[in-house]
Amino acid sequence: MECQLFLIGWHCRVGPSNGDRPTLLSSACHDSPTLASLGGANLCGALTCIKGSQPSQVRTIYCADESGSVPIHQRKFERWIQRMAALRLTGRARWHVVSFVNPVGMQFIHSISGTDRIPSLRGADFACQAKWKRTIRLCAAVVLLLFLCSSGNAAALANGKGRTTLPDQPKPSDPVAGKEHWAFRPLSYRRPESDSNWVRSPIDEFVLSRLLAAGLHPSSDADPRDLVRRIYFQLIGLPPTPQQVSEYVQDDLPDATERLVDRLLRSPQFGERWGRHWLDLARYADSNGLDENFLFREAWRYRNWVIDAVNADVPFDRFLLEQIAGDLLGFESIEQRDRQRIAAGFLVVGPKVLLGNDSAKQRMEIADEQIDTVGRSVLGMTLGCARCHDHKFDPIPTADYYALAGILTSTQVMEQRYMLNEQRVMEQLVGLGDSGDKLDQAYEEYWRELPKVKEAKKHTESALEFLKKNDSAGLKTLLEKHPDALAEKAKEDLLSNEARIEFQNALVAKLQAVISKPAEIPPRAMIPSDADHPADESIRLAGQFDRKGEKVHRGFLQVASQSAPARVPDGRSGRLELAQWLTNEKTGAGQLTARVLANRIWHHLIGRGLVRTVDNFGRTGETPSHPELLDFLARDLIKSGWSIKALVREIVLSRTFRMSSQHDGIANEKDPENRMLWRAHRRRLDPESLRDAMLAISGRMDLAMMKSTVWYLGDQATAVGANKNRRRTDFPCRSVYLPVIRNDLPELFQAFDFADPHVATGARHQTMAAAQGLFMLNDPMVMDLARATVSRHWGGDSDDESRLLRLFGAVLNGSPTTDEKRQLLSFVRSTEGRLIAEGDPEATVRAWSITCHAMFTLSRFQFLQ
Amino acid sequence: MNCHRFTHAINRREMLRACANGFGQLALAAVAGRQAMGAAAGLSSPFAPKAPHLPARAKRIIFLFMWGGPSHVDLFDPKPRLNESAGQQLTGKDVGIERDKLGEILGSPFQFSQHGDSGIWMSELFPELAQHADKLCVVRSVHTEGQAHGEALLRLHTGQANLVRPSVGAWVSYGLGCDSENLPAFITISPPRGHGGVQNYGSAFLPAIHQGTAIGSAEIPIAKAQIPDLVNPRLNPDLQRNQLDLVQSLNRKHLRQVEVDPGIEGLIGSYEAAFRMQSTMPRIMSLGDESRRTLDRYGVGAEPTDNFARQCILARKFVENGVRYIQVSTDYTWDHHQKVKEGHIKEAAKVDRPIAALLEDLDQRGLLNETLVLWGGEFGRTPVVENGDGRNHHPQAFTVWMAGGGVRSGLTYGSTDDFGYSPVENPVHMHDLHATLLYSLGLNHEQLTYRYAGRDFRLTDVYGKVVRDILA
Repeated sequence: MECQLFLIGWHCRVGPSNGDRPTLLSSACHDSPTLASLGGANLCGALTCIKGSQPSQVRTIYCADESGSVPIHQRKFERWIQRMAALRLTGRARWHVVSFVNPVGMQFIHSISGTDRIPSLRGADFACQAKWKRTIRLCAAVVLLLFLCSSGNAAALANGKGRTTLPDQPKPSDPVAGKEHWAFRPLSYRRPESDSNWVRSPIDEFVLSRLLAAGLHPSSDADPRDLVRRIYFQLIGLPPTPQQVSEYVQDDLPDATERLVDRLLRSPQFGERWGRHWLDLARYADSNGLDENFLFREAWRYRNWVIDAVNADVPFDRFLLEQIAGDLLGFESIEQRDRQRIAAGFLVVGPKVLLGNDSAKQRMEIADEQIDTVGRSVLGMTLGCARCHDHKFDPIPTADYYALAGILTSTQVMEQRYMLNEQRVMEQLVGLGDSGDKLDQAYEEYWRELPKVKEAKKHTESALEFLKKNDSAGLKTLLEKHPDALAEKAKEDLLSNEARIEFQNALVAKLQAVISKPAEIPPRAMIPSDADHPADESIRLAGQFDRKGEKVHRGFLQVASQSAPARVPDGRSGRLELAQWLTNEKTGAGQLTARVLANRIWHHLIGRGLVRTVDNFGRTGETPSHPELLDFLARDLIKSGWSIKALVREIVLSRTFRMSSQHDGIANEKDPENRMLWRAHRRRLDPESLRDAMLAISGRMDLAMMKSTVWYLGDQATAVGANKNRRRTDFPCRSVYLPVIRNDLPELFQAFDFADPHVATGARHQTMAAAQGLFMLNDPMVMDLARATVSRHWGGDSDDESRLLRLFGAVLNGSPTTDEKRQLLSFVRSTEGRLIAEGDPEATVRAWSITCHAMFTLSRFQFLQ
Repeated sequence: MNCHRFTHAINRREMLRACANGFGQLALAAVAGRQAMGAAAGLSSPFAPKAPHLPARAKRIIFLFMWGGPSHVDLFDPKPRLNESAGQQLTGKDVGIERDKLGEILGSPFQFSQHGDSGIWMSELFPELAQHADKLCVVRSVHTEGQAHGEALLRLHTGQANLVRPSVGAWVSYGLGCDSENLPAFITISPPRGHGGVQNYGSAFLPAIHQGTAIGSAEIPIAKAQIPDLVNPRLNPDLQRNQLDLVQSLNRKHLRQVEVDPGIEGLIGSYEAAFRMQSTMPRIMSLGDESRRTLDRYGVGAEPTDNFARQCILARKFVENGVRYIQVSTDYTWDHHQKVKEGHIKEAAKVDRPIAALLEDLDQRGLLNETLVLWGGEFGRTPVVENGDGRNHHPQAFTVWMAGGGVRSGLTYGSTDDFGYSPVENPVHMHDLHATLLYSLGLNHEQLTYRYAGRDFRLTDVYGKVVRDILA
């Protein structure tokens, strides 16, 4: 066959022949690994044989499939070839064959046959055993090839010098065409004109004009009590006290809300709430998770750095820079150096498969995890798809992925350390403070030397035994092997045996002292560093780490670059340049980053993002409900110098934020999902707010910032076998400081849709599950806090009604309706009666505690109006 | 369950929704909540009990998980060549792979014989199970990835190791919804805490409602196992019911006031579901209503079978209560790097009788034909020796068996080479096994997808093919 062939089969595409063998051009997504492990050669070899239509020449053919290679019996294979050949004789059979070819193949067939009717026959038409289906597909492709060649279609096949004439459309991964996608376009908006007195801020102009265009109207302002509760929870994750509620409600000055918001923005609790939003994205955890759940003893420093940075309103571009390249930045003091080092822990806290892993593979997987996290959290893009093939939906070619991968594989996050009696590859740590490096080395050395010390102690003890038994022959043999087993001073010839024993005892005691007093764990931080020899990365074919393709320069995403970015200088990883590119609005991805961040802030404050798929701004994500508003917010964010607090303030002070969540049947009909924002979204408290609110109301909350809450755990955060030493949740601190052990989250977090700390999460699930009901109804913590709340608000000898009002105000920030009051009081009294009848000495307090517990379980408590 | 005690407070529609579908209703509310929230996840299909894609062969699955990796060449895959060549070097050439030396061959210390009309081979370690040989479909050619336990467990349970993915049970719960009034769709009895831990029964990006409900954990005897917060330690049930009636009444008033809110509806549902679960679960877990005969047959009260026997009875009771996917795990005890003989004798003795009793019991109650029972570990063990008398991990080939629900009984499927090193005939990858499990429940593994982060995910990623030959 002289013509250049192009076969598109089910599993692979075979290109123009190279010598007498067709070469493997490329392969379909994910199917290729096994083909690759066959080298494609068997298949191609088989094709070569079959081309001659000499089935008898075929001895064994390996059929590629997902699970490996399957040798196929020659006779069976011949039979198939014959049957396939026979099928060629009828028109229908031809399409049988075609239907086995994949969609690209179908399109191709269509383009060369000119037939637009391709019956969609399925593989099932062949009455054959399932296990042969793969073979059939392959054979079908082969026979198709023969058919096409023999029936005069060879010329068409050869059209375009061996290239197919598939319709000329840019691929979805084309980064130039991709710039047309809304998320990559330059920021642009025009403020709608409005003379409505509803409008308080530009935000409201955008919202109102959209509402009016849809024939809708904004709902009325929220009740001030609901509003103040909303503002407290959204900004600091805690409820207002009854006093704070009344202060606000009674504040008649026009800037009451402004002053409240400014006060809360300045409070250290703001960083605890908003830092946690970032920690969700940073997939922060105190342990590795996955296969070997080793403790991240030092991760808390990164967590607290995030909280501090948010409180200090560190501009987001700087915030990112320190997290991605903090170890590379200049510093003026050791404290600054350490802060930046800690920040760079962002790249290190990801989950990693630790055991049974090839180191080259591990390196690629770590880079992949980092790319995924940065892509998702900063750019709202799913970059991981481009690891194995050009992105199927978004304008990200594989080359762009490996441009980024080069930066991250030129970054080191693992090191050899001694742990649990083994030399292991673990997260890289660095000592903090002036003498940090020294302490760190001493600590590592202790663990490295410990086995030797233990060994030495064993021998010195044997030597001691020999001395005691006065067995000089035994001692001599021992010393021949282990000359250091005897104390130096005990070696003196003239000594009495007693004296020797004394010296020897001292040596044993000295070694024991070393063993029993482990070096103190020095203050350390998880840290990345540039590799010794930063280098560009090769594309890995089909994402397999051991199949190298073309090399690509370290660099960034083309689609999100405004101009050709500067090349990464030699000798550097390119992390610094990456961090700068992410927020550079002129040349880099700054405008996209601003959109993503502004949308996240909106999502947290309003309840849904303008783009509801907050982590996906790609083609498979949603488009913004208010594109111009989004661009306006993004532009404002950049203008403010990337100040998160400024944008929070702007949104909270808008009229839009103030709307009530009142239902409206007509509006609901038109816009059931409330995308136009005709009312506020009712929101459920997240688990941190739920717990913190109960703690705060009960007066048990300790607002002090916590350091480590995992210090008492061993090196394995969740161990195989009896695991008595488990993470604790009994700290009265804010929930942001509770241990986040991957695969062993606190029950409350687990039940109430906390972010899975293995992956960057911008929007948590909101589910209703029985486990949540069980927690609220039965957990001792909830009942303890209810009881503490009752004690705190008992109010001496006051009557039941005022006690109820006080409790209701404290828990629910409001007053009960007459009906609710009647129901609650009657419950208190009947419960008290029952408990008295049961002889409970604390019947009154318990009855009130049970009632307060009931209040915690109310929808009014768990939802923000 | 005191369903009538609270129905007076709600209208008929609510009552029907609260009681008729039980947990399924709850799930529905959860979805409704998500829909209103507009998360761009696969919202098209509701989670209430729903029809599978295909005719189902089985309604549910019990997976008996032997943690550590049982040795296929000592249990179900007899290899006379191992004993003939014991002590000799196994080379790559012997088993068709490109490696020089694989290690010294270790013969099996156990006698194998054929059982039942079907003549299924088993070693002497499973005398009681052997009596049910004709119920089994033994698959000898399973293979997976992951040389270490952690990776292999994650692959077995979720199909993936380096990424967090929903577990098989979570996919089943997502695909079929919940069919039980009082219990969740996916329960895992004594799950491992290590080697991926929760991830092995997690829901990952699927809504949390599909996460497996864990009873105890592997290292705790099941008799002492607890579900967190299942019991209120301070309120007696009557008082708690009163408290809940108050709460639900106030919550419903709130709901009426705000008119529409799937979130609040979901909250109300979650309390009812929780209360039903806490009323039902302790009764099931107590085994108090099992006859002495049944307890004896499983081996409750006798060692070494007591613990696994209790686990197996629990599994059967969950089957009777409509749970879709039940996993029973041993402790981390099948990992015999040394003394594979002694170790396997000991471990097999713990599970043989309980498993045989489970099969018999399900059969007698007419449940076996609609319940697929799967037995297996995370990998097999090497034909070559480790530490003198042990065997190392071997994901390249190992055996699982199935029984009941739609599998061809009395069948031995697939084979390994003469040394049990690699699959030779009809290899079944872990993904294929997963595809087949779903298929037996009527779910097409290529259609059971969930949209997350912009693309549709499935249990089998882009792999997996149904092994139809083992299905009746």
